[in-house]
Amino acid sequence: MKQIWSIAATTLGEAIRRRVLLVILLVGVVFIAIAPGLGVLSARSETTVLRSMLLGIIQMTSAVIAVVLTVYMIPNEIERRTIYTILSKPVQRWQFLLGKYFGAVLSLAVMMALMTGVLCIAYWIQQGYNAQGLQDLLKAPVMFFVQMCLLAAIGLFFSTFVSPLVNFFLSGGLYLLGSTFSLLFQDMLANPNAPGVAKMIATVVNVIVPNFAYYNIQNPIINPQVVIQDEFQNYVKIMAYGVAYIGALLVAGILIFDRREV
Amino acid sequence: MAAAIETKSLTKTYKLRNGKVNVVDKLDLYVEEGEIFGFLGPNGAGKTTTIKMLLGIIYPTSGEAKVLGKEAGDINTHRIISYLPEKPYYYEYMTGMEILKFYGSLFGINDPAKFQSLLERVNLAGDAGKPISAYSKGMQQRIGLAQSLLNDPRLLFLDEPTGGLDPIAHIEIRDLILQFREEGKTVFISSHALSDVERICDRVAIINKGVIARQGKLDELLRGGRIEVIADQVPADFPAKLKDLKVTSSYNNARLILDIDEEEDVNGVLDSLRSAKAHIVSVIPRRKKLEDLFLETVKNVSEKRTTTMSGAAQ
Repeated sequence: MKQIWSIAATTLGEAIRRRVLLVILLVGVVFIAIAPGLGVLSARSETTVLRSMLLGIIQMTSAVIAVVLTVYMIPNEIERRTIYTILSKPVQRWQFLLGKYFGAVLSLAVMMALMTGVLCIAYWIQQGYNAQGLQDLLKAPVMFFVQMCLLAAIGLFFSTFVSPLVNFFLSGGLYLLGSTFSLLFQDMLANPNAPGVAKMIATVVNVIVPNFAYYNIQNPIINPQVVIQDEFQNYVKIMAYGVAYIGALLVAGILIFDRREV
Repeated sequence: MAAAIETKSLTKTYKLRNGKVNVVDKLDLYVEEGEIFGFLGPNGAGKTTTIKMLLGIIYPTSGEAKVLGKEAGDINTHRIISYLPEKPYYYEYMTGMEILKFYGSLFGINDPAKFQSLLERVNLAGDAGKPISAYSKGMQQRIGLAQSLLNDPRLLFLDEPTGGLDPIAHIEIRDLILQFREEGKTVFISSHALSDVERICDRVAIINKGVIARQGKLDELLRGGRIEVIADQVPADFPAKLKDLKVTSSYNNARLILDIDEEEDVNGVLDSLRSAKAHIVSVIPRRKKLEDLFLETVKNVSEKRTTTMSGAAQ
């Protein structure tokens, strides 16, 4: 456990000093900060536009950070030979991989917390103090965090055996697929008139590609007239789904990394 | 003496597009505890691959490797060994002290006094607070050695420990390695610095194209060089009597200096000198240089391979 924590802490230390991540974070923070001023450009209600923009910026910035952070994780350690000094110590490969993953999760937590902090300030300045409104708004970053942990697990899984560039497209592609097309595939499965082949493809995609769309809970937050039934239960369910997927990805990553020549 | 490292037919094969290549081929190594063992070979000979297999970082295709009596890669063995890779890189944002804290934590060591004493030992106490990015190459190598001593290892793997260092840093690292032997540690050094190896190693193995070409005690491997005999009051006609022997001689003012190629000729020459009432000043066996042995070995292996390959082609 000590080893996992040490590696995680070192990964966090490195991540918060990586220029590329800091630039992405800075862009996200700047956009969140200026978002209240951009609401006037839209014909829709200012509150709706502001909430939509703020949450959209956090989600997109976090996704880019999660992918950039994890695609280089293992290849960089091998290229710089840091992995050799670590694995020659009493550190098992699974401990190394878990340490890297938890380091990525910690880094995401720190960076997303910063963006969320700026979001709260921007929202407060624009809307005035509204505890209930803020509380509702903050549900989304929490779910986005689970979503990003899942995305980080995908990035780390692929980084155990593919190059960073390929990983970037694979992880990014799966994120887009899981965010935008999962509902389509689920509709296809539910449709009794859908052809058998289409249902089969939909089943395979549903199992392999994690459904990132579950965590896109911004719709009821942006549009308060939309209500989620059994909201708390639903959140617990999708969190459990995320944790199960993350667990499966980490186990698969460990199995591959355990036999990998480094 | 117990074996610190023992390999039997250790082989590592990589698949290439046009076939397979044995990067390490049926390697039989034996390193005794407490000795400094030099592992020599040209670039691409299979040195680093062998070390990685011994550390369990990569897996052998076939054969056996034992380190301190356990299978290579055994996690408990990792508590009593250490490794300094060639051109090590550390997390650059960390300071020297933080590097030791990080690697120490992997052993469960959190002892600031120990970290401080290690920094002092490698002459980095004054630079402990500087980030690694501000360290020179020699300083990075020294912090690497400090991290490799955190667990007070019984066996150290040092891959090119003096590579690219300036002469002062070079001597400092060499002296540290000599101290390890005094402390009873086993040191396995892969190096191109033949003069260092000749000076500090007890035994060496020369590997070329994945095959061990020579292995043994340095003294024995370097034996068999010329023997120099110097004698005074030698009669002027004496050199002519040596024309049937493999001897190089120079005669001046009754002083004769002989370089004798064959060891078995020495006694005969000495007897003849005594019979001629000459005064024998010195008999000095001149050792081969490791550089000569290395070049000769590498050349022989390359020639053998070329011959075998052309034979196979025919």
